[in-house]
Amino acid sequence: MLVLGIETSCDETAAALVADGTILSNVIASQIDLHARFGGIVPEVASRKHVEAIGYVIQEAFDSAGKTHTEVDAIAVTSKYGLIGSLIVGVSAAKAMAYALKVPLIGIHHIEGHIFANILSNPGTPLPHVCLTVSGGHTMLVHVKELCQYEVMGNTLDDAAGEAFDKISKFLGLGFPGGPAIESLATQGNRAAFNLPRPLGRSRSFDFSFSGLKTSVVNMFKGRDRETLPLPDIAASFQQAVVDVLVSKTLQAALHKGVSAVSITGGVSINSRLREDFSAACGRQGLQVFFPRRDLCTDNAAMVAAAGAARLKYGEMSQLDLNAIPNAPLESIGCAGKHC
Amino acid sequence: MRVLGIDTANLTNTIGLIDGDRMVTDFAWEARDNSLQRIIISTDLVLKRGGLTLAEIDGLAVGIGPGSWTGLRVGVTVAKTLAYAVNKPICGISSLEAIAYQARSASILLCPLVDAGRENVYSAFYRARGKTLAMEGDYYVGNIKGLTERVKEPALFLGKPAHLYRRAITGELGDLASFGSPSDTSSGCVVALLSLPRFAAGAADDAFSLVPLYLGESLAQALLRRKETEARDE
Repeated sequence: MLVLGIETSCDETAAALVADGTILSNVIASQIDLHARFGGIVPEVASRKHVEAIGYVIQEAFDSAGKTHTEVDAIAVTSKYGLIGSLIVGVSAAKAMAYALKVPLIGIHHIEGHIFANILSNPGTPLPHVCLTVSGGHTMLVHVKELCQYEVMGNTLDDAAGEAFDKISKFLGLGFPGGPAIESLATQGNRAAFNLPRPLGRSRSFDFSFSGLKTSVVNMFKGRDRETLPLPDIAASFQQAVVDVLVSKTLQAALHKGVSAVSITGGVSINSRLREDFSAACGRQGLQVFFPRRDLCTDNAAMVAAAGAARLKYGEMSQLDLNAIPNAPLESIGCAGKHC
Repeated sequence: MRVLGIDTANLTNTIGLIDGDRMVTDFAWEARDNSLQRIIISTDLVLKRGGLTLAEIDGLAVGIGPGSWTGLRVGVTVAKTLAYAVNKPICGISSLEAIAYQARSASILLCPLVDAGRENVYSAFYRARGKTLAMEGDYYVGNIKGLTERVKEPALFLGKPAHLYRRAITGELGDLASFGSPSDTSSGCVVALLSLPRFAAGAADDAFSLVPLYLGESLAQALLRRKETEARDE
């Protein structure tokens, strides 16, 4: 089954063609340089850029896959979770494509997309497993019971982990996006230089909180001349605090559910420190750990197409009145609007 | 030429189908927050009423604004993606001209209004020139007072905001101001009709690069621009 995926939930305009688990094309028009000037993502700017880019991106997905419109069997689009103005553009385009090509349409939750970014990269990932999906927009622990069967175990109570990276990067004058800037500086720093909190590290809930950690860093160094700040040590200590919390919560969750594997997805899962620490900690616990291909960590449409294909296989599809819902909960298949 | 016209600039969203200069069918709905939800089913409804499939039309026309930014993104994205998917030409049409067109037989200055939020309106002046409308000057975005200050002759105010601000307009302009019917608004058929001369002249738009006419920017953009200008001036 050939599925066209479309994803515009935040600041990437993306389209992809995926055929039965094989990625034929994965096109992403990133707006990151545009938003860097503002020090963060400006929703109105993102929405406008999506309208400009969407047609070119879809065409490129067909061209680089060597496929034509008539070969598509279904359209999958991120319709839930993200910036409303951004989601609307992808859903508009997807609905128009599905109607024009007379093929089924399926709306996908952005988090389900990230869960499938790993399944697409590592089809052998055992089920059930626990997935940590972590980016600038979310930090969520999900028990993936079967394909498209989820239990959300934990969520961030305030900032997403990637958002904390962005804010600390801004505070330290390192620019946007913060993840790569902090990671690269941290390689030259001492990660034990500063004693930073591990928020909710000992709590029994699976929720996260990064706002207090950010405030600790700011309080420790505010008012000081930037030239005198030990930037690499701050970056390394901060990054380690975030990684420690992510690793410990995810392992707790895996132990609690008795699963044999975890997957780490989303933009922050590119971070090398995070990958190393997860691999080491999971090794000690006898857990398998999986990460998506690097190009599937950040937002992309291949993961959306893969999630769509899975749902369609179970007979689910959306109607042409599909709407964009920015804060929709992650739902298992067959559970739309019901508590399963 | 059979053209499907879509306009989502206003609170009333509208889709229509024409065959040459004959209006086949027109459909409108009050779109508070459901432009996206209803646009494809409404398109389907209009095509079915007209007895056509999407593949059987000859082109699309879409109101590009000015108007609701979110509404325009839905209308423009849907229209250009439909055009792309079935490989038909597309024309972007001024949503203000589509309102003014209803009063094209009037001999005075036409002043269509579209709500711009925060007690502001989008507007432009048009004058009938034979069968077509000619725009005079630039687009306007701002409050009613700023608009009425530009009016020095008898003018016909059109569109729903004209009635909302009727008292303020009359207060400033007295007898110079007259008003269209409270029901006058854009229509999908009119947007389609306005595209006919453009298609005939070979002046269709590129479906990939077509974007709404926003006539404004986000607060963040405005602030950044001011900061950059200040930095340059120093």
